[in-house]
Amino acid sequence: MSSFRVQHANARVDFGKPLNFTFDGRRYDGFEGDTLASALLAYDTRMVARSFKYGRPRGIVGAGAEEPNALVQVEAGAMTIPNLKATQVELYDGLVARRTTGWPTLEFDVKSFGGRFARFMAAGFYYKTFQSRRLWPKFEHLIRHAAGYGNTPVDPDPETYDHQHHHADVLVIGGGASGLLAALETGRAGLDVILIDEQSEPGGWLLSSPNSVIGGKSAPVWIKDCLAELRSLPNVRLMTRTSAFALHDMNLVQAAEQIQDHLPPSQRITGVPRQRLHRIRADRVVLATGAIERPLVFGNNDIPGILTASALTTYLNRYGVACGSRVLLMTSNDQVYQGACDLADAGCTVTVADTRYASNTEWAKRAAASGVEILNGFGIARADGGRAVAGAKLVKLHADKNEVAGDGPYVACDVIGSSGGLSPTVHLYCHDGGRPIWDESKLAFIATGTGRAKAGIYCVGAVTGEFGLQAGLEQAFRTITDLLTSLGKTPSRVASDVRTNEPAPAPPRRIFRVPDGKREGHGKKAFVDFQNDVAASDIHLAVRENYRSIEHIKRYTALGFGTDQGKLSNVNGFAIAADALGKSIPEVGTTTYRPAYSPVTFGTLAGAHEGDTFEPRRYTAMHGSHAARGAEFEPVGQWMRPWYFPKAGEDLHGAVHRECLAARRSVAIMDASTLGKIDIRGKDVRDFLNRVYANDWTKLAPGKCRYGLMLDENGMVMDDGVTACITDDHFVMTTTTGGAARVMSWLEKWHQTEWPELEVYMTSVTDHWATAAIVGPKSRAVLVKLCSDIDLSAAAFKFMDWRDGTVAGVPARVFRISFSGELSFEVNVDASYGHHVWEALMEAGAEFNITPYGTETMHVLRAEKGFIIVGQDTDGSMTPFDLDMAWAVGMKKPYSFLGKRSFTRSDTARSNRKQLVGLLTDDPKVVLKEGAQIIETSNTRPPVPMLGHVTSSYFSPELGRSIAMAVVRDGIGRRGEAGVKDGRDVVYAYAGGTAHRVKIVSSIFIDPKGERQNV
Amino acid sequence: MSKPATAPIIQSPLHGFGLVTVARAMNDTRGVWANEVPFLGYISLRGASTDAALTAAAAQALGLSLPTEPCTFTRDGAIKVIWVSPDEWMITCQRDRRAALLSSLAKGLEGIRSQVADNSGGFTQVLIKGRNARDVLSHCTVYDLGALGEGRVVGTTFGKSSVYLHQASDGYCLLLRRSFADYIWRYLVRAASPYGIGVAVFGPGHSGAAE
Repeated sequence: MSSFRVQHANARVDFGKPLNFTFDGRRYDGFEGDTLASALLAYDTRMVARSFKYGRPRGIVGAGAEEPNALVQVEAGAMTIPNLKATQVELYDGLVARRTTGWPTLEFDVKSFGGRFARFMAAGFYYKTFQSRRLWPKFEHLIRHAAGYGNTPVDPDPETYDHQHHHADVLVIGGGASGLLAALETGRAGLDVILIDEQSEPGGWLLSSPNSVIGGKSAPVWIKDCLAELRSLPNVRLMTRTSAFALHDMNLVQAAEQIQDHLPPSQRITGVPRQRLHRIRADRVVLATGAIERPLVFGNNDIPGILTASALTTYLNRYGVACGSRVLLMTSNDQVYQGACDLADAGCTVTVADTRYASNTEWAKRAAASGVEILNGFGIARADGGRAVAGAKLVKLHADKNEVAGDGPYVACDVIGSSGGLSPTVHLYCHDGGRPIWDESKLAFIATGTGRAKAGIYCVGAVTGEFGLQAGLEQAFRTITDLLTSLGKTPSRVASDVRTNEPAPAPPRRIFRVPDGKREGHGKKAFVDFQNDVAASDIHLAVRENYRSIEHIKRYTALGFGTDQGKLSNVNGFAIAADALGKSIPEVGTTTYRPAYSPVTFGTLAGAHEGDTFEPRRYTAMHGSHAARGAEFEPVGQWMRPWYFPKAGEDLHGAVHRECLAARRSVAIMDASTLGKIDIRGKDVRDFLNRVYANDWTKLAPGKCRYGLMLDENGMVMDDGVTACITDDHFVMTTTTGGAARVMSWLEKWHQTEWPELEVYMTSVTDHWATAAIVGPKSRAVLVKLCSDIDLSAAAFKFMDWRDGTVAGVPARVFRISFSGELSFEVNVDASYGHHVWEALMEAGAEFNITPYGTETMHVLRAEKGFIIVGQDTDGSMTPFDLDMAWAVGMKKPYSFLGKRSFTRSDTARSNRKQLVGLLTDDPKVVLKEGAQIIETSNTRPPVPMLGHVTSSYFSPELGRSIAMAVVRDGIGRRGEAGVKDGRDVVYAYAGGTAHRVKIVSSIFIDPKGERQNV
Repeated sequence: MSKPATAPIIQSPLHGFGLVTVARAMNDTRGVWANEVPFLGYISLRGASTDAALTAAAAQALGLSLPTEPCTFTRDGAIKVIWVSPDEWMITCQRDRRAALLSSLAKGLEGIRSQVADNSGGFTQVLIKGRNARDVLSHCTVYDLGALGEGRVVGTTFGKSSVYLHQASDGYCLLLRRSFADYIWRYLVRAASPYGIGVAVFGPGHSGAAE
């Protein structure tokens, strides 16, 4: 056992609270405060995964969001979550996790045999398999089986999620030293501040560096005091376990909070979401996102037991886990030294291979005092070991060039940590257009403190390249002072004391790939991106194959893809590509940083937008009546409309058959409340209607209604409906159900932008009115039972009239209009009484067996009459003439109307346009498929000229046969006589492999003279 | 031929949830309390806020001035006038005042460029109170509730729908369209679940229109 627990007071785990958990079927113990990774490492766990391509043994590398290897599946069944990073899974009692790679077992992995042929699986391997059309299907099967990690849950998620919106003066992202200071200073200034941090507690790197001192206080005390003060400020909100994953325009930040993930499923609180998406709009955003240590790239650097140096430090100081007894650290900078001292003080044997010829003298002194051995000018040529690292061969490096200058010792060790410097976490800074700048002195792509201040974005601490605690805090203080000044505030009177115990820094060595004395590709594989198995040699190969842009190199090699998004690998990759290309790093640049910074669950993104709150469902006032009568519903726009009303044992066809016949022969009733209704008033209302409708409204008298066609600027039908003249300056327009909002905006747009001189106002009254359409020969007999103050006789109340009166004791506006061709009354009442009036009509109609019907029957009834449905029989390319509705166009109106000029466009005026006709199949039982293509002959061998398509098709119970509507080239001229069943012209309707012989006829199948609606 | 109609039965948009039967007095056991304020009168008024004749005539007819500052409302007893846009207002009142207001508006605005439309069937209100009322709303709307001072009203998002929203006696009042009421209530209840929600009996002094 080389790893061991170090139960020190600064550890953030509670050694008094042991926990049990299971990994890959084996039981372990850990402590409260552990992550799954720290608890596994305490057991000396080395291999936790197999690599993506080669099946190589892999272990834990990092300690946070940067972890590339340790992807685990947590819990099982409906609660299971795939591909969590073990470094981010907070341990709870009873946690069950398993590996996501290694098949059939972790110890014996099939893919690892492929790994022996690694030289045949170089960069672009996947793309190269495409090149053989014959072999690709075989490759595909193998690759699909081999790829991927965990399993997505297949059961419905039992947990809930929600969204919350916040507004603040200042949003500080990151609760490390700089972020805490920024929140403190802006909070003291009285600003409305939100501080968010992705970890279980704020503190950032300070949690890993308890021996640091700030303002005379040890790091733990400094954090505690900061938090106490922040919590005492009512204007500061503090959120932990909240990861800001996207920064959008206008400083909108999206952050995912893990509310219950750290609790055992049995202890999660019902009603409280598992995770919450916060959308935060802040006047100023302070990015205190810190930096992530990048490892050095060397031979066999992927052997389990090789971590980043900072991860080793974090496991020791934060979690009380020494990951090995004999520790070899390799570094290019000062950052590893505190950890080296801490590990040595904890009892480890520590050797530091510092690639620099001279270490920082103060650090060297402190290291020596702790018993750390320092080897200056050495690097690791290759690590040794299979499933756990056992040692490393060092080489002497050239003082200036990254070349091997001589031999070095062999160091036996059980854990290796490496540090190639820090890479600022610039992701959020770049999401909305910021670009990071390469700073050669810092060897990092950095964000600037106030470079984006105009956009309200400020950066503090390590994200700006100020990696030292002292320099970071000083930079943060300066930047926050700028921020406060920009808001007219002054920093707190007592300036924060930011003096630390940190030695003055020494410059780092510029090194990314540690040389092994061999040409790239000839030594041991040196991995850049662990998750995608991208080695330094792959980047060189991509460049040899002439990839020049880093974006292309990324996609060819897969560098930086995956769940870690290259947090460890990107900068190394850019640097190695720059070397291979013979360019500088800034010339190569970075790939694009896009949201999300780290994976976000679909549940979090969906929030409450699922189940019965997935999408607004609009209901009419009569909905309860329909539900009680067993209606099936269908969404029309957002409305839930009755589709049909099946009786016991009835299917759709049976119900529609019965409903249609009731409407044609007795009486039926439909809820028409969903149609859009717009009240239009003003002295110019007739002028206005004349302009927005194709037909003429000049002479429509009060008390009368008229059907109108609304065209767009291109002369194409966009909506239709009946409009009633209430008084000379007051009309009520109806629109299609789905078109209501669009028509309202359309009317407002034309009125406000083009014709403001017209005295007219319009108001949506769609929701105010509930409408019941009573349809059929017996409809008058029903209505007369409930309405005594309107003379309903045919002579007094004609077709296309409307009357005000009282129905079932409720003031009503009754329209005698028809979408079925039958005698029909549409009763409109204040929707508050809609249910009452509907039930009264049902009761009054009971003696006639009044039959409620839904949209399906409505469609059949209107198709029997050839009435169009805008959006079904039209598609934005149909003029009124194409629809054979010239009667609804008032070409003689004195003022032009929308769409009129377009009628003279060559394409609109030409012949051979598709026109609406009726179709009758030779076989009356065949109901054509909507969308079936109209073709000239039954010969379907391509190419087949397409004349048009079927737009509506039903079985007509009244006719006892099928009917269809279609748009056909020059169809109007090819029709037989209206309603005549043997149209002259024969074509074929083709769908699903069958061509049915059809005749082109008028689309009016029933009552062509329109006598029924006038009775 | 016609028989005497039974007394018409009025139903509110949230009738289906049976709120009346589950409502009880507010207490500390829930973070938020809500209920529908049903059966009010709603009148849409359009006209230019820059037209002095219109604002004077409307004020005369309503006994209350039209708010002309964006996102504000005026109130006098049971009548409230909500600014909707530079040329649109929503007047809410007790339902039994509706006919009188419609007629006095029609009379007063005769000859003035305007529109008055009864919309009473088309809207309802929901009151939300309790210690977490604001928290719950922050789950439902993108609007900065800190910017919604007393006397201010805003038309804003509510889930994927929209409402008019203003403060009302220790809580908030939502003005919403009938057809969206089901969605908005369900969304509200869902958003409130972490805090606990109860259906409250709001006394007569607590309606959104009359306080």
